Order: sequence, then C-alpha cells, then structure tokens
Amino acid sequence: MIIGALLGADEFGFATAPLIAAGCIMMRKCHLNTCPVGVATQDPVLRKRFVGQPEHVINFFFFVAEEVREIMAELGYRKFDEMVGQMQMLDRDRAIDHWKANGLDFSKLFSKPHAAKLEDIRHSAMQDHHLESVLDRTLIEKAKDALDSKKKVSIEASIKSLNRTTGAMLSGEVAKRYGFKGLPDDTIHVKLNGTAGQSFGAWVAKGVTLELEGEANDYVGKGLSGGRLIVYPSKHAKKIIPEESIIVGNTVLYGAIAGECYFRGVAGERFAVRNSGAIAIVEGTGDHGCEYMTGGIVVVLGKTGRNFAAGMSGGVAYVLDEDGTFDKRCNKAMVELEPVQPEEAALSEPFDVLSHMTRYDAERLKILIENHARHTGSARARMILENWATYRGKFKKVMPTEYRRALRELMAENENRPMAVAGE
Amino acid sequence: MGKVTGFIEIDRRDRKYGPAADRIRNYKEFVIPLSEEATKDQAARCMNCGIPYCHNGCPVNNQIPDWNDLVYQGDWQEAARNLHSTNNFPEFTGRVCPAPCEASCTLNLNDQPVTIKTIECAIVDRAFAEGWVNPEPAPRLTGKRVAIVGSGPAGLAAAQQLARAGHEVHVFEKNGKPGGLLRYGIPDFKMEKQLIDRRVKQMEAEGVVFHCNVNIGIDKPVADLTASYDAVILAGGSEKPRDLPVPGRELSGIHFAMDFLPQQNRRVGHEPLKSNTPILANGKHVVVIGGGDTGSDCIGTSVRQGALSVTQIEIMTKPPEKEDKLLTWPNWPMKLRTSSSHEEGADRDFAVNTVSFDGEDGKVTSLTCVRVDNKFQPIPGSEFKLRADLVFLAMGFVAPVQEGMVKDLGTKLDPRGNVAADTVAYKTSVDKVFACGDMRRGQSLVVWAIREGRQAAHSVDKHLMGTTTLPR
Repeated sequence: MIIGALLGADEFGFATAPLIAAGCIMMRKCHLNTCPVGVATQDPVLRKRFVGQPEHVINFFFFVAEEVREIMAELGYRKFDEMVGQMQMLDRDRAIDHWKANGLDFSKLFSKPHAAKLEDIRHSAMQDHHLESVLDRTLIEKAKDALDSKKKVSIEASIKSLNRTTGAMLSGEVAKRYGFKGLPDDTIHVKLNGTAGQSFGAWVAKGVTLELEGEANDYVGKGLSGGRLIVYPSKHAKKIIPEESIIVGNTVLYGAIAGECYFRGVAGERFAVRNSGAIAIVEGTGDHGCEYMTGGIVVVLGKTGRNFAAGMSGGVAYVLDEDGTFDKRCNKAMVELEPVQPEEAALSEPFDVLSHMTRYDAERLKILIENHARHTGSARARMILENWATYRGKFKKVMPTEYRRALRELMAENENRPMAVAGE
Repeated sequence: MGKVTGFIEIDRRDRKYGPAADRIRNYKEFVIPLSEEATKDQAARCMNCGIPYCHNGCPVNNQIPDWNDLVYQGDWQEAARNLHSTNNFPEFTGRVCPAPCEASCTLNLNDQPVTIKTIECAIVDRAFAEGWVNPEPAPRLTGKRVAIVGSGPAGLAAAQQLARAGHEVHVFEKNGKPGGLLRYGIPDFKMEKQLIDRRVKQMEAEGVVFHCNVNIGIDKPVADLTASYDAVILAGGSEKPRDLPVPGRELSGIHFAMDFLPQQNRRVGHEPLKSNTPILANGKHVVVIGGGDTGSDCIGTSVRQGALSVTQIEIMTKPPEKEDKLLTWPNWPMKLRTSSSHEEGADRDFAVNTVSFDGEDGKVTSLTCVRVDNKFQPIPGSEFKLRADLVFLAMGFVAPVQEGMVKDLGTKLDPRGNVAADTVAYKTSVDKVFACGDMRRGQSLVVWAIREGRQAAHSVDKHLMGTTTLPR
C-alpha cells in the first residue's frame, strides 16, 4: 500500500489477502465445488467447514492500517493524502538492480509530473462524466411515443467514439416500463452513422434495434438483453473490404443473454465470450472466439483466430471453414466439430432457430444468413446463399459435448412423458 | 491429483499393527500394509492442492500430490521414480518418519490427513519387490575422491548422490555395519535391518566403498582424510547424550538409552556386542527417563526382553490430546503421541523430575521423583518414589562427540556445540570439509538427515566441479 501510494495510488483493492483472513487456503479449487474450507463451494457438507468470521477480516484490515501508520510515521507523513505520488521517497535501486528488471525503463514511473508544483497530484476532485448530455438522453426523448404508447418510432442520429454505452439508458427506460419482455420487435429503430464508442448497444432491450453505419469499439452488445444490433461499414468507405476488415472491437457480446446481432465485417478477440443466449453473425473473429460461451448461436462466415471455443460449455457455433484449417484453431477440450447436415423434410411451421439445437442445422444456418444479408446487405452472405449447395458442406458445427448430452437427456425426458399429457 | 471428490467420499484408513501380545514375542516389524486397492483409495483422497502444504511440511520436499495421483492412476513404477527423485531412502522414512507431511496436509486442517507415509512405504516396497530399484552408476567418473565420515541417513544420502554424480566415495563407519542410528538406534521391530543391507548393496554397485570398524579420529587420524581426499563430509551424528547428574547417578543399573538399544540390535543382527556387560531388562522393573522416541524404543525393547514393569517419566507437562489446529496447522503440533511401544504396556507420567537415584550395594533400586510445574520448578510435598532395577536415560542428545575427529580438525562449533556450517554450502570452517545431518544441526529426524545429506552432496559436487546437476 505504501509503495502504491508513493507511486500515486489513491484507492486500493484487496482480494486474496482478506479472503485468506476469512479462511481461504489457496486450494485453487473454486471451480470444482470441492473447496475444503467451505469458502468457494455450494456443497452443504463442505460449507459447514467454513469457520471464517467477519472479525477475522476486520482484524486483518486493522493490522494493515496499523502497519501503514507505522511506516507513514517513519516516512514523516501525517496524512495518507500527503504521501500520494511522492515517488522520490522510494528506495528504488534494489528493485531496479534485480536481474528481472534488466532491460526495463523505469524513468517515467519515477518522474514527477511538472503539474505537481501547481496542482494536487492525488485524487481531490470528482470526475464529471457529463451524464446529462449523453446521446441516450436524445434517444429517450425521441422515443417518447414508443416508450409511452408502444408506437413505432424511427430515429436517425450521428455517433462518435465519445458516445459510450449507447442504447443502455434507452433500454433502461424500456425495461422500467415493460420489464424483460420489452416492446414488440423493432418498435424503436435507431439508425446511427459514425464510429461508436465503447460498449455500443450494451444491455439493449427487446424491441430496440440499433443500426450502425460505420464501426464500433470494444464491448459491443455487452450483456445484450433481447435487442437487435446491426453494424455495417459506411457506404462512403469505398476502399473497405468488409469481410477482411474489423468492424467491431474485442470482447463483443460479453455476457449477452438474449437478442441478435449482425456484423458485416470481422470482430476482434474473445468474440461472444460468456454469451449465454444471444445470436450473432459475423464475418470473421480474432483469437478465443466463443470463450466460456454457455448458450446462444454464433455464426462465423469467415476465418477465426486460434483457441476458438475454449471453455465453451453451451450453445452452438457454425464456422465457415473454406480451407479446412479450422480444426487446428479450435480448442477441442470441451467441444466437438460436426458437419452441417443437409435440410430435412420441410418444416411445417415457422422454425425457432433457438430450438432443437442438435438438429436442423442447415435450416437454422440458412435462416440466420438470410437475416444477415437482409440487415447488413452483406455481399458475402448473399454469395453463400447463392451457392448454398456448395457452401453448406463447408460449415463446421461446434458442439460442446456436455451441452449435447444435456440436450439429449432433456429430449429423452420429454419423449417419455405420457402421451395424454403431451396432448393436453 | 487423486480423485477430485475423493476426500469427501473416502475415509482415512491407515495401516494397522499386529496384536501387541503377538508382536512383543519377537523383534520383527508388525505394521500390516494396506491392500493395493485400499492404498489406491487412500491416494484418491489427495486433493491436488493449489498450495500443497505437504511439499514444505516434508523436509525432503517430496512431491506428494504427484505420486499420490500416480498411485491412484495405478502407475506405481512412475510413482517410485518420482518418490526417489526427492528421497534416497523412502523405505526408511516410510517406516520411521513421524510424517510432518501429514501434519501439514490440507486435509488435516479440518479432517483426517491423507495417509502419505503409508502410500510412500507402499510405493517403495512395491518398487523393490518388482525389481524397479536398481543401481544407477554414474555414466562418467570425475576422478574426484570424497570421504564421508558416518553412515547414518545423512552420510548415506550424501554418498549415494555423490557416487551417482561420478565421484569416488568412501564412507567410514565406526561400527561393524553401515547405517548409523538406522541400524543401531532404531529397534528392529520398527525397521528391519535387511532394508539397510539392500540399500547398501545398491550403493556399493554404484561405486560407494564402505570402510566399517574405522573410527575416524581414533583408529585413523582425520588428517589422513583431509590429506588424501578432495572433500570430506562430516556426518557423524549427534551422539553425546544428555546426562542427569543427580545424587546416585554412579549406581549400576543406570544406562544411557544408546548403551542399551544398540546391544539388542546387535543381538538381532548376530553381531558381537561391543560392551562386555550385557544390559537386559528381563525380570526387572524398568524406568525410562525421557518421553521422546528414544524413550519409546527403550520401552518396546524392555517389554520384548521381558521386563516386569516399564514406567516412563517426562519432565514436560502432559500435552493436549488434540491440538488446536487453527493455531498449529500446517506446522508440527505439540500433542500427546502414543507409540506402538506405549500400547505394549508402559505407565507414563508427566511433569516429573528425578531428584536422586537410590540403591543398595551399589545397585539402583529406586528413584526419588518430584512433580514440577511448567517451568520445571519442584512442587513442594509432591515427592514420590519409583521402584527401578534398571533406568534408561533417554533425554536427548546435546551435541556431536567432540573428542577425536571434531577436535582434531579444529572446526568452528555453533553455540550448541554442533559443527558450524550453513544450510546452503554446508561448509565448515576447515577448507574442503563439509558437515551435514545431526552433526551440523543437532539431534533430529531421519528425514532431515536425508535432506542435509542430499543438499551437502549438491554443495560438494559444486565445490569439486564448479557446477552441479544434483538437486538440492
């Protein structure tokens, strides 16, 4: 803490140490439900072994505070604030002389900014986020009819990278009024032009469509909650080849739970990480696509990076594998690759793409690619559809093995129900 | 790694002893091994801890979770290889180690620890039975010569490591056979001596030369060693016993434990007794002074010789039967430990000090004792008498014997009278002379001696060659 403060820290996060004060012994079994001291487990037998008490953590922090006080007294500081940013007090030779520090330049870390003489070098003023003037305020204003009386509205606006988390507050208003059920599809259609800032379309609710002509930053569709996101390059950007160009940044759809998105272009790394129910179509991804995904559908109409599907335990992904090298880039610890089977007999009723995940692959895939073509005008989607007979066979279905087992068990359970009940 | 949920599903089960009435009729080992299946089950209890406390609980840093997993998977040969990579003599520690690893086992915090010692013993016994333990002579010899004084666990471990590194190793042992306290201190009923012979044979095939009946400093001047060897390791143990200078100490029938125990081991091993007067407990009332492991060994040996009664007294207060684990774990707890010898029939008394030995015709007949508080101060009026025809002093060892080798060499000693050397280089104050084991650290466990022997070998190899690949 002292070193941190002298280097400029105002706030401190404690993680492992107070946990240990409460009884953690660093078993590193948090993910196995076998924590022997009952800290990180749901097993009632093991939870009984937890002997931690709040006082243990309180004691720990008292000791920390006391020691900090002692060191501060040695250094001659009465208040913590006085100490923040006083890096000249650090005896840094020992750290820098360490062999591990070879080749590292610490000069910037230890140089005091010129501002130090004039202004505080500690946290003394609150940051103004200008929340009163964010883009969503305008959107909410313009969507009044839809919010109040479910009337269809169409909004057009320009966007730039300063506009962060666009759509979240608007969706908050939808959720306040209509809950997770939201509004009928496409009730609020927002057409945006430009470059969206971080977390474009985060938590967007059902009934809200954000159509972006331009490109977006990281965390697009974070926590997506039923809405629709469409991103395609600007018509004026003539030199961009969409299927080879990044259109959205890293960690897109982090923790999304429902909704759909269409990206005419390539996404960054960790695409659809922790997605648990949203549908996404993209024309390529970076490394670690579909990491820890637990539900939903991802379609990649192009190349992926390495380590695809690491820790993927649910949902399915379809990857267009034109040169047959996807196998090498897929992490198959938890998933298996399957071919996409041809269409079965014609479906009698409209097909819900999120149902029957173990079959109807060709049907599902075609519907999704058609949607993609319609929403984004993707040339690649159209080309695939035009040559569907050839391209269908080039898709690989990524299927988590445990997910498949669970679906089959569920299916068997349903089939075993008495017919009378099924007919009711 | 064991089984992920093994510790929840499987209870601890350890090796049992043969019945006391049977086992006291002979000097054979009486620990009954678990079946292969039961051993695997016990290995399955290992939790593959993120921080395996056993690694550091064990003085030789055995990679316990690794070989537990190998046993669970049924790969005994690889388990034996892994076990031997950190411990030269698991068949010794698998029998006589008090298993600080088990005290530090994560399961010991709020459950019963993994039976690490039992699994260790099962691995090495199986490895010998299957013929997986073979001599590993060095592929190339270095031409360097190393003398090791003392063939206890420290000397043996150092010798084996250095021979495998290609040095010409000569071990000097004052007794008739190699092994030190392993052979002459620990009774056969705790560890049979063919285990040592088996290891010595392996080591001889690896090039180690044993010179027995050579007491350096008496039969052969230590200067001979320093003159003709490239390095000398002192591993002579800590053999000077703590005495009890109270009135009547001169009476006959009062012996140091280490005058008594080696005699019986020699009898079992068909070796000539070194002393002319046999010390035997049959038909006698025996009092053992000192509550440690040596005291226990005196009890078990006395019982086997047919003592009428055995009483053990200890100056410390009686420790708690169960330790407060939140305070002690993962360290070695002070608690009441009942050895197999105690079960064979001995009275124990705690917080007792001996005031005097009383006797008739120059022979001891009784002890005058007094109860003491936790600062060893006598409690007035608590004096009592204990009948005794034979008294064994088992109060620990204060330091290495200095007369002879240590004095002749003139090495610096630490304040306790041990040969001074650090635990990195193990170098004494005398050039090219190293020290390890009890001789350096004072009385301790077999497993600490093995650690020091291994680490000293590392340092000696580095000293001789400039670099070393021997593990520390």
